Order: sequence, then structure tokens, then C-alpha cells
Amino acid sequence: MMGYRMIRRTTASRRMAVLAPLAALLAAIVLNFVLYLLMGKDPGAVFYAMLLEPFISWNSFAEVLLKMTPLLLIAQGLAIGFRAKVINIGAEGQFVLGAIFASSVPVWFPQATGWWLWPLMLLLGAIGGALWAALPAFWRVRLNASEILVTLMMNLIAAQLLAYLLVGPWKDPMGFNFPQTVMFQWDAMVPTLFPGTRVNVALILALVWSVLAWVYMQRSFQGYQLVVGGLAPHATAYAGFSEGRAVWLSLLIGGFAAGLAGAAEVAGPLGQLQRGIASGYGYAAIIVAYLGGLHPVGIVFSSLFMAALYIGGDNAMVSAGLPASAVEVFQGSLLVCYLAAIVLVRYRFARPAEVAA
Amino acid sequence: MTTLNRRRFLQTSAATGLAAGLPGLAHAQDPLGIALVVPSPVGEVGWSHALAMGLEPIKAEYGDGVNITILENIPEGPDADRIMNKVVSDGTRVLVAGSFGYQNGAMQIARRNPDVTVLHASGFMVAPNFSPFAAKYFQGTYLMGMAAAALSKTGKLGSVSAFAIPELITSINAFALGAQSVNPDVEVSVVWVNSWFDPAQEQDAAKALLAQGCDVIFSNAQDTPSVVSVCEEAGAYVFNLNSSMKANAPNFYLGCVETDWSPFFVESVKAHMDGTFEGRNAFLGVEDGVVKIVDWNPDIPAETKARIDETAAGIADGSFHPFTGRIVRQDETVGVEDGETLSDEAIVSMDWHVAGVTTPLPK
Repeated sequence: MMGYRMIRRTTASRRMAVLAPLAALLAAIVLNFVLYLLMGKDPGAVFYAMLLEPFISWNSFAEVLLKMTPLLLIAQGLAIGFRAKVINIGAEGQFVLGAIFASSVPVWFPQATGWWLWPLMLLLGAIGGALWAALPAFWRVRLNASEILVTLMMNLIAAQLLAYLLVGPWKDPMGFNFPQTVMFQWDAMVPTLFPGTRVNVALILALVWSVLAWVYMQRSFQGYQLVVGGLAPHATAYAGFSEGRAVWLSLLIGGFAAGLAGAAEVAGPLGQLQRGIASGYGYAAIIVAYLGGLHPVGIVFSSLFMAALYIGGDNAMVSAGLPASAVEVFQGSLLVCYLAAIVLVRYRFARPAEVAA
Repeated sequence: MTTLNRRRFLQTSAATGLAAGLPGLAHAQDPLGIALVVPSPVGEVGWSHALAMGLEPIKAEYGDGVNITILENIPEGPDADRIMNKVVSDGTRVLVAGSFGYQNGAMQIARRNPDVTVLHASGFMVAPNFSPFAAKYFQGTYLMGMAAAALSKTGKLGSVSAFAIPELITSINAFALGAQSVNPDVEVSVVWVNSWFDPAQEQDAAKALLAQGCDVIFSNAQDTPSVVSVCEEAGAYVFNLNSSMKANAPNFYLGCVETDWSPFFVESVKAHMDGTFEGRNAFLGVEDGVVKIVDWNPDIPAETKARIDETAAGIADGSFHPFTGRIVRQDETVGVEDGETLSDEAIVSMDWHVAGVTTPLPK
């Protein structure tokens, strides 16, 4: 490979862009097929449970939609910032703060009833996430502190705040000292969309949010400013666009979305605030955002894909007796193959002679 | 016309129940699906490992008659709920929910599926087909306390503990009481790490306790040898719960308060097969063959060891109970009056430390 260089293709072929993910899937299947044979597992049963069942069984697909909801919300918010080169790694903490803000209603008013309860909680959650993101935005704009480091550190602070509330003031008084709040009342739960499943109204919010993100990024002047600011910061400075404004907007939007997702999680499938709320959606959404090419439409598909991978992995553990680590190997190898394929769609190898010429 | 009275209602329900049970008989040859869901990797040692080992005798006894699925590393919350629902809809009829945090999800499954038997670790809810189970670790930690006090030079003992829940609080209290029975001036410090599985934080906590002068450490509910290996390196005696970690501390391993869940699992599966299962609060100890002490360290002075053996025999035959008064609380009020013994109910909901435990409970 000595002397070979990678050259960006002038135009990426549309056919290849579609074929690349399929090729990646095929490569991952072949790699893992061998692994399962060595482990003495039936590869057919594993792949059925992992890749087909999430889509052909309604129960599994409903769980995919449930899992997709927070990923989609957070990733759309993060992608806006990423395109403006404002790297918010703190969605996990903003998600937790959203859950905490939303939980304040049922924790402080466990007897409250009314149709407005869960919408209020979602709104509070979004505000909580935005406030948590406002701190790194302030430090970045005023003190030029790296938002990457500050947002990451604030995840740890959010986790401690959650732990403090759960073992302290918000602990369920009847819960034998277990670190969790009371179960929420009925009106504090986001209504489900389909009977018998856990998919709730938050999925619709996430889809609406995706449309808004598309309009904002692809059609609005402010969105254009953000994108150009990310591509050419000096040029935008000459053009009179404010970098501070881009930082504020990116972090507030990202925090708002992550907070909303946290609120929907705690008022949705969880039904009480507990440690399990911080389950890594904030980090997974970073992968989702990049897999979707930071494009609002791409992110809808990548969040569906990631959610299906999670559910499929669990299915493989349950039905095919695959250990948890083998599921992670498959998910990891699929992502690596996909990223490699994407690179080959955008770049091509050039022979040394070609490079010299 | 028949009137619906309580008796008739019971008869009808019983008949319905019987009818619901009949399809099961038709498939008597199908293997019984048993699933274990645990929050951490099963690995070689620790809580999840002990639960998985508890199912081994069932495999040995019934062979192809049972189909055991182990689901490891399942975080508490919506994921666990989904996975438990999935195993049950795939045919599991005995579900072992191996962590407190699975309680709400597991209880919902028990209510929706009367033909499923659920065994739930360390909870407090009971239903006709739902048994919470817990080990009387305090029986073993009391004995460990006696050994720890005899070996400690500083008179300071420490415990790295997961969560301030009654199960762990009672273990620490009994540890302190046992130590005080040998040396009344012993003090116990506790660090709560608020995690079931966080090796780095557990090691830091152990180092902090050692730095404070504690020279015997109780690794309370850690799933890894994190604390045990730190203590071996530092030359401090250490013991843990559930399964032996002697390999990680060949010189300073004080012993292990082992849990052997198999008697309870075997009994429950048998009852499920016979249709005689009844949900109960299963609080299991030495007398049930569930709590065992293994790998005693030979450094324990012979005189102390003789006293320990005597106490152990007393616990096994019921003539001695670690929580017999007079026991003073940390806040200097009386916790248990002279001559009285705490009931199981009081033990499983214990939310106070005994005097001699210096760290206040997180409130």
C-alpha cells in the first residue's frame, strides 16, 4: 500500500451510497458467522433474532420505536451543533437533568391530577436540559473554555446530582432506602400510542422535532449561518456572523432536545426517577448523529437502525442464547464495517503514479 | 338462579385456574423454561455468579426437562422490563429476577401471567406467584466481625458498601456487633459507592478506608475482586459475600460469606412443577443451607476460632441470634431492648446503624 493515497471523489455515486450499508451488513454477518460457528451457536437463529425479528415481530418493532425516540430527539439536537462545530458531548447529563426537572412535578405533587401534567413535565424537562447546557455555553463564550471538556465533565456532575436526589430528598419514603423516587401517578405518564405496547406520544414529538430540524438547517438563514460557521469560521466572522451566538444556539438546542428526551423517558417507560435513567442514550446519540451524516433525514434512519441493533441484540441474548459480549462484538463490527464503507463511498484509492501526476 | 357469594366465587376461580392449568399438562414433555436476569456479567465471582451457580443443580437434576437461559449485564429500567417480557413470551415459566431494581417490571409480569413463577432478589413485594428472596448475610458477617476484631491491630474496621439498603445495613450492623463481642471498642467506618458494579470507585473507597487506619475490610456486595485485591496488596485482611475470592487474596483472605441459592431454587422449581408454588417472603440463612462460611483464614487465633465455631453452631440451631438486645443505635437510643430479638420484618426493613458504626447513614 506504500504510496497509495486516499482521494476524495468529486461526486459520490448514489448507487454506492445505497450499496455501502448493505455491503457493510454483509461483511459483518460473514465475520460474525465464523465467530458463532466457533462458539457452537446456530448462526441462523442468531441472525434471525438480531436482524429480522426487530422488524417482523410487532412487539419487537414497537420496542424499536420506543428505543428510537430518545436517540432521534437527542441526535437531531446534537447534529445542529456538530454542523456548527460546537461539539456537545454532554447530552447524557442534559438528558438526566431533563428527567430530574420533569420528575419534580410528581415528586413534589404526588396527588396532582390533570391532563396538563405530563405536557408540563416534558416542557420542564426540556428547560432543564437547556439550562444545563447553558452553563458550558456561558463558559465557552465568556472564558473560551472548551465546550467538549466542560459538557463532558458536566455529565459526571449530573450523575452525582441524580444520586444525591435519589438517596436524599427525593427518596421514596416507603421504598426501604432504595435509591428511587415514588412511582408516578397516572396523569404524570406520557400516553401510549398503540395499546399493548410502550410506544408513546414522545415518538410523534421526535418526528415533529426532526421536521423542524430539517426546516431550520436546510431552509432557514440562521441554520445556514450555523453551517457556514462550522465550515469556515473566519469567513463567517468577516461576514459579521457571531460565533458566540452559534455556541449559544447550538448548546441550547442540543440541551433542550436531550432534556425533552430525558423527561419522556422518565414519564414514559420508566415511570419513576431511578439510577437506570442514565443508560447511555446521550453518548449513543453522538454515534447516531454521525451515522446519519448529521443530516435530519439521515438521522431518522440511523436512529431506527441503532435502535433495531439494540433490540435485536437483546433478542439474540434471549432467544439464541448469545452472551452479552458477543452481541456487543456484532454491534461493534457492524459499525466499523459501515464506517469503512462510508469512507470508500466518499474516497477512492489512488495509485502512486496518479498521486505524483 | 345462583347467587354469587364468596364461596361460590372461590369455587369458580379455582375451576378457572384448573382449566387454565390444563393446557400445560398436554405439553408435559416440553422442557420447563427457566430464565435468570442479572445486572452484571456472570463472570467468575460475585452476586450474579452465585445466582447462576444456584441453577446448576436444577440442570443436573432435570437435564433436558428444563431449558435455562441466563441474561447477564441487564441494566435496571426499561431494558430489563422489555427483556423479562420477551423471555416470558418466549415460553419461560420460572423467572429469576436477580436485582432489586427489577421489582416493578417483574411484578407486572407476575400479575399478567398467573402461570409464571417469579423469584425476585432482595425485594419486599409478595404475590401468589411472586416470591422475594434474600439471604441472612448478617449471620455470616457477625462471625466475620468476631474474626476481624481478633486480627485488627488498630481496632478500626471498614466496609466498602454498594447501596444503603436494609440488606447491606444489616450486614454491616452484624459485622460491628460480632466485632464488639470480641473487642467492645471496635469502630466500623463505611464508604457507600452507590453502585453494584464500579471496580475503579470500589478500589478508591478501599484505599480511603485503609488510609484512615482500617486494617480489616468488608467488601459488601461487590461483584468483582476490586476491594479484595487492593487489601491483599496493602496487607489488610478482607472478606466478601456470595462467592469466594480467595484466589485474589491468597494471604489476607479472611473468608467468604457464601450464598448457595440452589436449595431455594430447586425447591421453588419443584413446587412450580407440582403446581404447589406459593409466593412468600423467603428470608434464607444458615438453617436453610443458603448461607455458608468458607475459606476461613488460618491466621485467626485458635481461641477466637473456637468461639466463632460455637457461635456458628448457635446460629444454625437457632439458640443464638445476632440481633438480640440490648443493642444501642448509632444515635445512642435503644434499638433492641435487653433480651429481645429483632423480628425478620424488622431486620428486612432496618434503616439504622448500631453504635460503633461511625459513619452516619445517607439520609
